[in-house]
Amino acid sequence: MRFKKIFTDFFILMALTTNISFIVTPNPYELVITVAANLAATILKIGEGRILSTELMAASLVADLHLVPALFLFFLGDPQEAISLSVGALAANVISVLLSIIETILSVFTVEED
Amino acid sequence: MKKKRKLRRLKIGKREENQLLDLYQRKLIEALKELRLPVLMLHFALTVGTLGYMVLSGGDFINSFYMTVITIGTIGFGEIVEGSDTLVGRIFTSFLALSGIGIFTTSVTITVRLIFKEDIINLYRAIRMLKEIENLSNHFIVCGYNEITARLIKLLRKRKIEFVVIDGRSEVAVRLQEDNVKYFVLEEPFKRSVLISAGIMKAKGLIVNLEDDARNIAVIVTARLLRPERDNFLIYSFAPTEETAQKLEELGANRAIVPARLLATRISAYIFHIGSAFISDLFDRIAFGEESDIDILEFGVSGGSPLVGKMLKEIDFRRKLSVTIIAIRRTTGELDINITGDTQIEEGDTLILFGSPKNLRRAQRILGNFERVERLLGGKVEV
Repeated sequence: MRFKKIFTDFFILMALTTNISFIVTPNPYELVITVAANLAATILKIGEGRILSTELMAASLVADLHLVPALFLFFLGDPQEAISLSVGALAANVISVLLSIIETILSVFTVEED
Repeated sequence: MKKKRKLRRLKIGKREENQLLDLYQRKLIEALKELRLPVLMLHFALTVGTLGYMVLSGGDFINSFYMTVITIGTIGFGEIVEGSDTLVGRIFTSFLALSGIGIFTTSVTITVRLIFKEDIINLYRAIRMLKEIENLSNHFIVCGYNEITARLIKLLRKRKIEFVVIDGRSEVAVRLQEDNVKYFVLEEPFKRSVLISAGIMKAKGLIVNLEDDARNIAVIVTARLLRPERDNFLIYSFAPTEETAQKLEELGANRAIVPARLLATRISAYIFHIGSAFISDLFDRIAFGEESDIDILEFGVSGGSPLVGKMLKEIDFRRKLSVTIIAIRRTTGELDINITGDTQIEEGDTLILFGSPKNLRRAQRILGNFERVERLLGGKVEV
């Protein structure tokens, strides 16, 4: 069992699940946790030299760039726009999860090859 | 199974292509990886602080975030957030300050140390440079940076010839930057991967001056194995003695130059031509590329060229191309200096042209194109 992988995947999934829960029931704490989980997932991808790491990093950055403005908009009085941005971030989160699954499958093949 | 084998082959092929670039990129990734822990710790402290103050204030995010930043950043303007001046609030602030200040200072220290110690900036510059080198062609590779090669580089730059310097000594980096050398690789030049990264496969030639015979030999042999064709890839090396020069030439150098012999020959030329010092010096300077207004060009007449069989007066180089033929080197190796208008050009001859660099370049372009030569012979003067 690779603990590092568990740790990284935890934040990728956490970002997705908290984002969904924020969209369903908009709540300031949910939004802050979503942003925090997303940023943690991005930080954990810094310097990753794996097969799909660039794509994962790009998807993560897209989610961050949706959620950070959403955070400010939500607290500055435009929750509707914040939710719209979160839906955009959700698409990036879904892609992140899919890429992570593909990467896991590919890495299994690479290990077998070596 | 077949697919797996194919994948492996493809990967090996890529590694052969530019190993050094891959290595530098891996180094940069490794260096960046170390940034993760301090940044993650800081992120964790900020998140816990913000969420804690949000709970205390009933969801005021912006002030909670601000309060966290001023607490862990040791600014401490006061208890700004609602609820932070309560008993629970003060207990929370105390714990946040105790853990957060440590995390903040550690993170900043580690990040700054990583950026400077791991040389992330230089590594990034080196990667960018290697990528630019990949686009070069017909350039020269200079192995070893010292007084002689520094002068050589100035001359190459004057002629707008691109070059890449390779030197294994890290202390040379400062000098290379001071001398505005655009492309350099700070690695040992006798490594195959380093020469490939310097673009040897597309280069025109290599100059070796490592001040050590063994290292010179290692570079020449490695380079010649990568580019075996002597005519298409030129290798010039420096050698301390005639004996070493001979060895280097046998091993693959097109020419190994002995500085002592070269200096002696040049000084002797001055002594032998005391009466005609100006002309002797002029030819010397032209031959060594020190004269910027006059130059000499050798042009080989290939088979099928319309020039073959023509007399010099039919071509009229001086009027049509503004260059002068001063001699013809015949296929036998004999140098014909008694040329007249009736001298005939034969296949395989090398015409020795004399003129301004601009006119010589133009003449080379025209003479290399059979259609343009036909037009020239037909009496049309090209501009």
